[in-house]
Amino acid sequence: MLVLSRKLNQSIMIGDDVRIVVVSVDRDTVKLGIEAPRAIPVHRSEVYEEIQLSNRAAASGPALGENVAKPGIAVLGTLQPAKLMPQKKAKP
Amino acid sequence: MIMPEDRTESQGELREIELPRFGTCSYRNEEVLHFAWGLPGFTHLRRFLALSLAGQERFVWLQSLDDTAIALPTTNPYDIFADYDPKFPVSALGSLGIARADDFVVMCVCIVAKDAAEMSCNLLAPIVINLRERTGRQITLEGSSYSVKVPIPRKPVGSPAPSEAPV
Repeated sequence: MLVLSRKLNQSIMIGDDVRIVVVSVDRDTVKLGIEAPRAIPVHRSEVYEEIQLSNRAAASGPALGENVAKPGIAVLGTLQPAKLMPQKKAKP
Repeated sequence: MIMPEDRTESQGELREIELPRFGTCSYRNEEVLHFAWGLPGFTHLRRFLALSLAGQERFVWLQSLDDTAIALPTTNPYDIFADYDPKFPVSALGSLGIARADDFVVMCVCIVAKDAAEMSCNLLAPIVINLRERTGRQITLEGSSYSVKVPIPRKPVGSPAPSEAPV
């Protein structure tokens, strides 16, 4: 692992377009500012790991009932919002 | 609302794929959903189909086309938790090219279990799919109080009960 020392308000660049700034240091808590293109997901590691575990558990769940392997698969080719989204409009 | 007009415009070639979990399934290229970042835990998987199974309309399976052994059950969270109110970071929606509410659907990954009491739903990181572009991404609601493992009540909370039998 590359280890760099930084002081308050100093930053590091990762690649050409990710910048991480030390915003504040208070005892054992460091606040970091992250400037990254919006396409790049940024997570706290422990939250990311929790989601990883959850997705893996979801993918290894049991089949639901006996009818799973039988015909009747329909690809929601058009992913009709009417079917998936009888929901209030989500707010972007 | 997105009408399936682009489907009739370019009826792509029908492809067949053998799915370990579901058997043979046919699909068209334009039905494929693209997850540019994969999903946490499966970042190498980029192409998915959304499948619904007869008798299990509550669930939509995100079936990987890159690794057919992987399929994740998802559900419409608003059917179960009527007051679900995810605050999506604008940057995340922007990265999917989403500008209007009609453009996208929200689905939450479920952990299913033989025992219905153990079923849970990930409300912390919903999957958002842009219907227009057919792109998707699992978006973490940083700073929210939602959990990755919210028990699914047997009856929907605060919304009209779906008519189909519980799964």
